[in-house]
Amino acid sequence: MTLYLLIYFIIIMGAVVAVISKKLINSAIMLALLSIGVSILLFAYNAPWAAVFELSVCAGLITVLFVSAVSLVKHDEENIKENRVKYVLLPLLLIGFIISASIIVPEYFSKLQIFSTYNTQKEEPIGKLIWLYRGVDIIGQLTLLASSVFVIKHIFFKRKEADNGGKI
Amino acid sequence: MIYNFPIDWFFISILFFIGAYCMVVSKNIIKLLIGFEIISKSALIAVITAGLATNNINLAQNIIIVMILVEAVVIASGLALVVKYYRLNQSIDITKIINLKG
Repeated sequence: MTLYLLIYFIIIMGAVVAVISKKLINSAIMLALLSIGVSILLFAYNAPWAAVFELSVCAGLITVLFVSAVSLVKHDEENIKENRVKYVLLPLLLIGFIISASIIVPEYFSKLQIFSTYNTQKEEPIGKLIWLYRGVDIIGQLTLLASSVFVIKHIFFKRKEADNGGKI
Repeated sequence: MIYNFPIDWFFISILFFIGAYCMVVSKNIIKLLIGFEIISKSALIAVITAGLATNNINLAQNIIIVMILVEAVVIASGLALVVKYYRLNQSIDITKIINLKG
């Protein structure tokens, strides 16, 4: 149980620092730390496939995307005049939320757990589940990937010079 | 396997609160996307916890793989829009995006 509490502590500290950090690059790196914490939690919860996807996509790919986007819009982060008091307030609000949630949430979900139906049969292996039972999801995933490729292609399309009076 | 369903949901609610707070407070669009990412992480832990509670861990993993893909697609498209908007208007402040205002 101590291990789980430690992992959750890492996840929540990563989230808090990602939110209150002033520089966007620090936020992106703390988000990667959060993703690593979540993937360790998934490994601990006996879900290795999800953990591998989480580690490679969320901690790897999305961090690279965030860092590249931050480096492309780097000069603007000082220009946005944000009220930093709101971010400094977060730890205080979080303590209040933790105290109120510790009273309400565990009690409510322990009641809710009674209604859950426990699967007593042996579960199918994940490959069979993906390809036979949830095969339609594969089509959905492919459609999503294709739509994202089209979005990015149309956002960064190359204009001809004659269309815009020589400006690109 | 040592895990505690109510305690898990306690931490999930805290993570959701942090992400929602980030999305409400920040003006920077990249910060908004970071808040979205934190919220989706809390949803991911919720799915795996529900899978553990009902002994359907492989089905939960299956759903998580789809969730991660959706997350990556949303973040990639959102960041592409942010970079394009910055190139056109030299700003990523969400209060200044009023070009489509009627």
